[in-house]
Amino acid sequence: MRVVLAEDLHILRDGLALLLETHGFTIVASVADGPSLRDALARHRPDVAVVDVRLPPTQTDEGLQIALEARGARPGLPVLVLSAHVEQLYARELLADGAGAVGYLLKDRVLNGDQFADAVRRVANGGTVMDPQVIAKLLNSGGPGSPLTALTPREREVLELMAQGRSNAAIGQRLFLSDSAVSKNIAAIFGKLGLSQSDDDNRRVMAVLAFLNAGT
Amino acid sequence: MWWRSRRRRLGGMKRLVATVRCIVLLLLAVAGWAYALVLLIALTLVIPFPAASAGRVRLADLGRRLARDWAGAGLPDLPRTPPPVPQRRDDGWYSYGGTLYRSPRIPAWMSRIDHYSDDPEAVREWRWLALTPVTGGLALLLPPALIVLGAVAAATRPWGLLAAAAAVIAALLVAPRSLRWYGRSTRMMLLPSDRAPRPAGRISRAWTATWQLAGLAGLSLAAFGAAALSLVAILLSWGGLLPMVTTTTRPLTGIYRSRARQWFGVDLPSPYRPLPPPPQPEADGSYRVGRGLYDDRDVAISMQRYGWAGRDPATWRDLIWAFGAAVLAPLSFLPSILVALGFFGLTWQPLSWAPWGVPIGLFTGEWITPFYLWYGLEHVHVVPAWIPDWTSLLTGLVIALLGLLLAAPLARLHLWWDRAMLGPTAAAVLAGRVARLHTSRAVTVDAAAAELRRIERDLHDGAQARLIAVGLGLGAVARLIDTDPVRAKQLLTQAQETSATALAELRDLVRGIHPPVLAERGLTDAVRAIALDTPLPVTVDGELPGRLEPAVESAVYFAVCETLANAARVASHVILTMSHRDGRLRMVVTDDGPGGADPARGTGLAGIERRLGAFDGDLTLHSPPGGPTVVIMEVPCALSSPKTSTS
Repeated sequence: MRVVLAEDLHILRDGLALLLETHGFTIVASVADGPSLRDALARHRPDVAVVDVRLPPTQTDEGLQIALEARGARPGLPVLVLSAHVEQLYARELLADGAGAVGYLLKDRVLNGDQFADAVRRVANGGTVMDPQVIAKLLNSGGPGSPLTALTPREREVLELMAQGRSNAAIGQRLFLSDSAVSKNIAAIFGKLGLSQSDDDNRRVMAVLAFLNAGT
Repeated sequence: MWWRSRRRRLGGMKRLVATVRCIVLLLLAVAGWAYALVLLIALTLVIPFPAASAGRVRLADLGRRLARDWAGAGLPDLPRTPPPVPQRRDDGWYSYGGTLYRSPRIPAWMSRIDHYSDDPEAVREWRWLALTPVTGGLALLLPPALIVLGAVAAATRPWGLLAAAAAVIAALLVAPRSLRWYGRSTRMMLLPSDRAPRPAGRISRAWTATWQLAGLAGLSLAAFGAAALSLVAILLSWGGLLPMVTTTTRPLTGIYRSRARQWFGVDLPSPYRPLPPPPQPEADGSYRVGRGLYDDRDVAISMQRYGWAGRDPATWRDLIWAFGAAVLAPLSFLPSILVALGFFGLTWQPLSWAPWGVPIGLFTGEWITPFYLWYGLEHVHVVPAWIPDWTSLLTGLVIALLGLLLAAPLARLHLWWDRAMLGPTAAAVLAGRVARLHTSRAVTVDAAAAELRRIERDLHDGAQARLIAVGLGLGAVARLIDTDPVRAKQLLTQAQETSATALAELRDLVRGIHPPVLAERGLTDAVRAIALDTPLPVTVDGELPGRLEPAVESAVYFAVCETLANAARVASHVILTMSHRDGRLRMVVTDDGPGGADPARGTGLAGIERRLGAFDGDLTLHSPPGGPTVVIMEVPCALSSPKTSTS
């Protein structure tokens, strides 16, 4: 899989490149600032881009802006955005186009190399990966009148993992549940939130995230 | 026959009672009319105003009760709050408007003035008192007038007995209807309207301005009296009683300032210097005030107050203002005098003649003309005798209109003088600002130092220690990797977890120092981000078309965080509006909580105020019991060029 990597700190950029290469990815371009990222995305047309939010020269959210811009030009371009902090605001902007193939993770998550590589792969395959912290914030911002209050603690856990972009199997493994129990929980969640079911994992995640985004 | 069927339901006795009630209510209406005049006079004389208002309340409540019990007007009793009574403090003094008094009398009087001038019923009830003789009184007059006419006929005409009987029957028949009519008109005038008040028309604005100007002039005369008294006292005591002005004149100018703001929207901030802290004993037990040393603390304090009052230019400006206002007073009373003479004297007085003129004529045989004021004017040759009496109605209106026209310009004249003398001088404003900056700078420096200490401690105990642990762990791994790979793997996992914790701690620390979203996006988006993270619905309105100075941005960001956190504890929905106009950033946070927030109790609001104070910004809190709570934060600041956008 061909990856464009954008990260301004040298030590992190090399570390990430090493991590991805050991997991079988090919780094086609590894850049340190916004304009070079824009060029690399246009030239290499990668399978997935791994982008830091904050990039020179402005040291603002240049990476995020370029990622959004590139997805505007090429809808569904897989992008995994990394940041030292997560904001619901950014997550909303990334999810806004509803095209999927998008990820938003804390930089901390690279500490677990296998999980991180898995996340990159899921994004490249059109999946959605959201940091657990983003999901926790989304779940908490509904206020007392939110339909989320109707969920049981178990359903809430399932919803949280589902919103992070995990498959049924992964959810079952994590919560020590059988596949059928996971499906039952998911059906109950969709019923309580008034969402229509979908067999496609990715569409299901998008529906949940759209619901959480609209919640506030 | 209709009256027969009604008579069965309404016995003769009841009709008689209704007739008597008509007479009582008629007397009440006439007395009320006279009292309306008394109220006007009391308003301009100021001193009797609270007492007169208390009488107005009693009269209106009596009218409500009688109209309900006798005339079937569905008027509920008003929940009246009595004027506040000054509470005795622990030290035995009484406080009003930031000044202490030995006796509760002056504070009580002043809070009664405040109470009655804020009474929303005042205008409605005054109107009822003034208009009832015509609106309800003519109906009430009918039954007693019929009876009296009948009696007169019986006494003077041979067929009078028959006429008298007919008149009495007619009176009895009419009485219940008269009562109902009276009830309806009273209900219409006294029932609080549940419609939103209409915007006042020009006449009604001029009308209000006329009486408010008279009220201001009255207050300024009271202040003049106090100023003259204290001046005499100062002269007689060779200046010894100088601090007395602060307790005599200042409360009255204080009331004047608040009335000017409430009635005419003129802001006259209090210009007085703050009372100096009491002198502390020197090493030898004496007290130092300026260049003097005093053995006795009380003497030192009075010397200090002497200097404090005497050196404050506001003291002397108050006195000059009071004398100038006394000169302006005749002019300021002119509109109300013209309206009183023209409208109430020449126009309204003949129109409302019947309820009082007819009874007097019937009982005494003396028929007073409705136009007697006009006659008076003719008599003293103010008005030529050949002009017919009825023109008094029109002339009165013209004179009243002249008064109304004069009200606004004369009010402007008076307020010009107030602004010139009662407001703080440029020097006082500057001195206040310097004092504020002095405190806020000290607070800012302290806060910054405390913040640095906290960051140092957090780094030292947190991330720094954890990185050492990671380093140690990796060292052990290097030693063990060949001999005990299983143990080495365990240690590696541990090191990874420790570094993850260190990262999380650093992230929290960074957020507290300068939130990354603020650096990346600026205030508008940072505020949106807080709104999203707040666990209740927050509506964000408006945006800023550029970036602010980083320091201001950061201060406002944390202020908004604190405000939203406060609101999240009590409310279920918050609206946040931000705007930048005329070089000022304005953030308004409105929540639907129960209100009653007190900045003195919560440390949060005081903290925000200090934070914004460092940038000359300020915080205003409106939180009436029952809500809504509105927090307004304003900071003067410039906006940089439009948003730095990378797309």
